[in-house]
Amino acid sequence: MTATAIAGRRQGFALPRFMTSEHPLPWLLPMTAMLLVFGLYPFVFSIWLSLHEWNRFTRAFDFVGAEQWVTAFNDARMWNALGVTVLYTAVCLALQFVLGMAIALLLDDDRRGYGFLRALMTLPLVVPPAVTGLMFLLMLDGQFGVLSYYMEAIGLIDPLRPLLANPSTALIGVVLADVWQWTPFMVLIFLAGLRALPKEPFEAAAIDGASSFQMFRKLTLPMLGRVIAVAMLIRGIDLFRIYDYIYVMTGGGPGTTTEALSFYSGRVFTTGNFSYAATLSLIVLIAATLSANLVMRMFRVRF
Amino acid sequence: MEPSPARRTLRAVAAWLVVLIFMFPLFWWVLASIKPYQAIFSTVPNYVDFTPTTSNYQVTLLGRSRVEVAVEQGGAAAGTAGGASSYYSIPTIIDSAIVAVGSTALALMLATLAAYALSRMQFRGQQHFVFWILSQRMMPPIAVAIPIFFLFRDLGLRDNHLGLILAHTLINLPLAVLLMKSFFDDVPKDVDEAAMIDGATRLQTFRKVVLPMVRGGLAATAVLCFIFSWTEFLLSLQLTTSIRTIPVKISTFVTSTGTEWGFITALGSAAILPSFLFILLVQRHLVRGLTLGSLKE
Repeated sequence: MTATAIAGRRQGFALPRFMTSEHPLPWLLPMTAMLLVFGLYPFVFSIWLSLHEWNRFTRAFDFVGAEQWVTAFNDARMWNALGVTVLYTAVCLALQFVLGMAIALLLDDDRRGYGFLRALMTLPLVVPPAVTGLMFLLMLDGQFGVLSYYMEAIGLIDPLRPLLANPSTALIGVVLADVWQWTPFMVLIFLAGLRALPKEPFEAAAIDGASSFQMFRKLTLPMLGRVIAVAMLIRGIDLFRIYDYIYVMTGGGPGTTTEALSFYSGRVFTTGNFSYAATLSLIVLIAATLSANLVMRMFRVRF
Repeated sequence: MEPSPARRTLRAVAAWLVVLIFMFPLFWWVLASIKPYQAIFSTVPNYVDFTPTTSNYQVTLLGRSRVEVAVEQGGAAAGTAGGASSYYSIPTIIDSAIVAVGSTALALMLATLAAYALSRMQFRGQQHFVFWILSQRMMPPIAVAIPIFFLFRDLGLRDNHLGLILAHTLINLPLAVLLMKSFFDDVPKDVDEAAMIDGATRLQTFRKVVLPMVRGGLAATAVLCFIFSWTEFLLSLQLTTSIRTIPVKISTFVTSTGTEWGFITALGSAAILPSFLFILLVQRHLVRGLTLGSLKE
């Protein structure tokens, strides 16, 4: 308050408080304007689209109420896509969490060489996802893929049924790409958390004769709880909207076995059925919002 | 409490092994970029049994014709005739750089202002406001692309740098705001109060005192925004036709007559290099900021 008064006196006149830098409004306005125009507008437009249908005779959008939504809920392909999305998100999150934590623990060391390893570990993060998809496409190719070659050699896959061409394994190929690219993200976050942990509880536990596994379960995990929640939240949100890898690697196939919901929505969009595409997108948004809220409530995440 | 030398060695071996496994796809990718055409398609993994060539880089980065380069290599029939698309990618790299730098600057400016207010001033509904910002990232990219496509067409922003800069800024804002807020939260509020007691306004405090203290955080956020824009695919694909960013350009190398793995890997390798150098520069700050303040109670 005093600062406002001082500033006002110096300038010789007093602006209303909400127009000065003492009030959050001027600080938040530029970003909010940007988000309203380019963020809220797409959202409202999508809702509008999902309540209308393109009439090709009158060449206009007709209001159809909840018809698109009813169609979506009776659409087996939508449920399949939702299932793929949830399965994909869950598997990737679980793998990236476990691997990320294990690797972070492994690399959390101040001895020589570990800094270099940590730096190398960030490399996958800078690869464009579309390139990552191509990278795994190259390695998983049935004829000249290097990963296919080794997997065949140890009998993991049938030479006649390459990973990505087999309906029951194609999703694994996409998961591989995602896990390769994003486990380093988890490693980075967990490393930050591990490095900030206080030393004393661990020293005390060591004196009491606790094993390192006990220390991990009883000390490290609970103390990292919020870091883990934030990491899972950010990653979960992005996993829910998976698009690039599927576009590049499988195109949703074979059949619809790797068709995640946002990819299905994109495919419907390219056929020109904008209303139904928007409806499907909103289902992704609703599912993501609900899950995110759940995670934030469960782990009491506050920003 | 010091682990035995045997365990230390074991741990080092495990650490190297894990990192090397993660490096393998990149190694294979860069290796493919210097392989002659036929070596890429070898059915048995080919690590050293080829003559390294820079021809893929010459075609994509120097704009030489692929036929010319193929003849020089001695393999007259190397490759197919190929589609009509051009493989020369320097203009693409320039487009990508303009968009990435522009959207990084814009996102950083908007996010820093907002993050400072979110960190320093409490207001009603703040948690909801932050969640709303975060929820901008939950829309599937295609759902953002559709309305923005129409909006940009009406505003004349389609197929130009400014449009793509705005679109990428939009995707970057949520994470940039949260990151910057966590960096501001690291600066004690006493710092602001001391400056304001000395007669500085909020704006002066922000510019002269707090902002210099979060330089590292600014750099880390900038790098992250740059990488997201540099690697973004779907919006660039939908919103542009004559301007091409690198990921979109690379996707055009997957043609109906075949996938040009040599050119794809060469351009891909060239595209990864700058981002990696940037991320190395700010790694320390990035690691701190990525927890988004969740380390604090």
